Amino acid sequence: MTGAAPARVVVTGMGVVSSIALGVTEYLSALRAGRCGAAPVSLFDTSGFAHANGHQVADYDYAARLRRTDPAEWGRAALFAATAARMAVDDAHLSDRALQQRQGLVSIGTTDGGSHELDLLVAQEIAGGHDAMDGRLVRQVPAGGLSVAVARELGLTRVEAMTVATACSAGNHAIGDGLDALRSGEVEYALCGGADALCRRNFTGFYRLGLVAPDRCRPFDAERAGLLTGEGAGVLLLEEREAARARGARIHAEVLGYATNCDAYHQLTPNQAGIRRCMRLALDNARVDPADVDLISAHGTGTRTNDAVECGAIAEVFGGSPPPTVGLKGMLGHTMGAASALAGIASVLAIGHGFIPPTVNHGRTDPECAVDCVPNTAVAADPRVVQNNGFAFAGNNAVVVFGRDRRSGRDAA
Amino acid sequence: MSRAGPGGGAPPVVSAWSAVSCFGIGRSAFTAAMAGGARPPAVAAAPCAPRPDDAVYPVPSFDPRAVLGRKGTRTMDRVSGFAVAAARELLGGTPDASLDAGGGDRTAVVLATAGNPQAMRDFTRASLTAAKPFHVDPAVIPSGVPNCAAGLVAIWNGLTGPNTTINTGRAAALNAVGHARRLLVAGRADRVIVGAFEAHSATRARLDPHRAQPGEPGAPGTGIGEGGAVFLLENAAACGEGPREPLLDVLHVAHRTGAPDDFAAAVRGCVEEALDRSGLHPGQVWAARGSECAGEPGRQERRVLAELFAPEVCDRVRPPGNGDTGSAVAAFQIAAALAVPAPPDAPVAIAVTAVDPGGTAACAVLRRRPQGRA
Repeated sequence: MTGAAPARVVVTGMGVVSSIALGVTEYLSALRAGRCGAAPVSLFDTSGFAHANGHQVADYDYAARLRRTDPAEWGRAALFAATAARMAVDDAHLSDRALQQRQGLVSIGTTDGGSHELDLLVAQEIAGGHDAMDGRLVRQVPAGGLSVAVARELGLTRVEAMTVATACSAGNHAIGDGLDALRSGEVEYALCGGADALCRRNFTGFYRLGLVAPDRCRPFDAERAGLLTGEGAGVLLLEEREAARARGARIHAEVLGYATNCDAYHQLTPNQAGIRRCMRLALDNARVDPADVDLISAHGTGTRTNDAVECGAIAEVFGGSPPPTVGLKGMLGHTMGAASALAGIASVLAIGHGFIPPTVNHGRTDPECAVDCVPNTAVAADPRVVQNNGFAFAGNNAVVVFGRDRRSGRDAA
Repeated sequence: MSRAGPGGGAPPVVSAWSAVSCFGIGRSAFTAAMAGGARPPAVAAAPCAPRPDDAVYPVPSFDPRAVLGRKGTRTMDRVSGFAVAAARELLGGTPDASLDAGGGDRTAVVLATAGNPQAMRDFTRASLTAAKPFHVDPAVIPSGVPNCAAGLVAIWNGLTGPNTTINTGRAAALNAVGHARRLLVAGRADRVIVGAFEAHSATRARLDPHRAQPGEPGAPGTGIGEGGAVFLLENAAACGEGPREPLLDVLHVAHRTGAPDDFAAAVRGCVEEALDRSGLHPGQVWAARGSECAGEPGRQERRVLAELFAPEVCDRVRPPGNGDTGSAVAAFQIAAALAVPAPPDAPVAIAVTAVDPGGTAACAVLRRRPQGRA
């Protein structure tokens, strides 16, 4: 870096679409209640699978939530992204016009983009050949549509519509991209997060790899048996701190820092050294010591390998007594590109509202996962610095560190 | 032309590049074809073309096992094969020990691609048609996600720095260059391997809702292309001290998201902003290279460039003419700007634009350095 210290970046708006809540107020209640969104998947035909629970978003009226978007024209993940972005802008008490006049970045992470629609097209192709494929669905497949849908819903044109495709850590990549663009002064706001819809292909892949749990996702549990695939979207509105204060914005939290790296090790198996290095880089970037971290929102997929490797890396960075480390995928399922965005919003809510959301479905902690996972019941606490982990196939690690804004803090939130 | 880059530093520079194209594997095959002005060999009515009149511009006889060896290539998909092959030439042709040993954690990989839609389609199809819905091939699961190629470039070269995959269609390579620039400005890497790749498949062609109809004017956008290009982008200071020669400065990348039927305003907006932020006006641009998008978006892009720039400026860097290469379109445009002979004396400004029918437009303003250190 050259010149002055980089601008500080804060969260001023949040939007949530998930299996446990629609909207950030309901999300806060659900996190406090330890709600689990697992249920049999109905979005696609699951006959023939021995088990097919997932975290599906309940149907909601898109048109009632969206102002400019024609729901018939967009895919499921794009509609989730647009809904969460609309909520985030409303939460920030900003008008569309105010955003339209500023230079911005929309950065949405995803694993599958319009793959739910692609599944439908494949079924049409099987039934009736290529000519049976619906052109409207074809237009909904490209992942770029997720960030364009956000821009279109808000009427934004002076905006870079970025769709980050780093799979299960993409939400954190998107937040980090927004942080960098704001720190350098390249943009005046960033709408960042992630979105994915459940789809047959994704579910079948995890099922074939033996990673889908039979009933529930149980992060860090000795009896954990895998993940449950989920869907949803989380979007955060980021602004430069002084600009946010100047307009009298409510500051939910500060984005203290971020890091991303690559294991360069294996396409599917996580690597403890890579994860450890990413956490250290993120804490350095945030200028905090491990001892300053009050809570870790883990990647915590509930698979045998991830949880053991992640906890091993946490032990290396934080020593024998790491901060409480929660696995939110017990409640939310693994929402893929949305996962670290939804977990990031939970991190911000924990800071603002003085609690730690629990790791649900928990029986007995695995000795290989030597963390206090705050089992089953939320606890009152005073987290000031929260580390949010996201990891992905291809070894794509991304970690974001949130902190309490020293002036606004929880009283204002 | 001495405007600072974002964050106050000098603009980052491209110091090496490679391409995999219908002209062959490697930079020299692409450069020779561009210099010779040859039309690439299109394969009409290819077995995998969805319609009899679709031209396809395949990378000739590309097989990852033959090109890269047998180790680690058994299940490698075509996009990853292109990316790993191009990265190999990029790094192999870069005389810098820091890239070979010890520099892996300061080297980022940023790739734009839509990944492997054929594998995705085949996987779902198997699930829907097999005796059991889970009778699918697990070996193709990694390549069913677009970040596969960037992850493999990292694994093959020991690159543990930031690793990003971007999936935004025809403007994606410019999103990638802009993102790479942000990584450098933020100090997250000292150098970025940034590029874009796409592989031809029947499914990819069928899923392109905006593909030109038969008989559509604007021939370069009509066929289906594949391959891509990759660039080594680094801080100017680091490059200046090393053995590599700066070829191209990346002055600015600007973006717009257009209204559904108004690409012209989006293209004009990002060109004017990119030039302004580079301290230039249109009259100072030596070459402008549009993305030759099929249909109405391409017509509007060409019209705006013709309004802003003189005819000879729009013709100086000719389009590669290798079909619509999706995410890789703008990477090929930048490669084309590098393939023309370097200016003899002073640096020249080049504007590269791309539009995606999904609604995005982007413009990169580049500065081609003269031959030898200037």
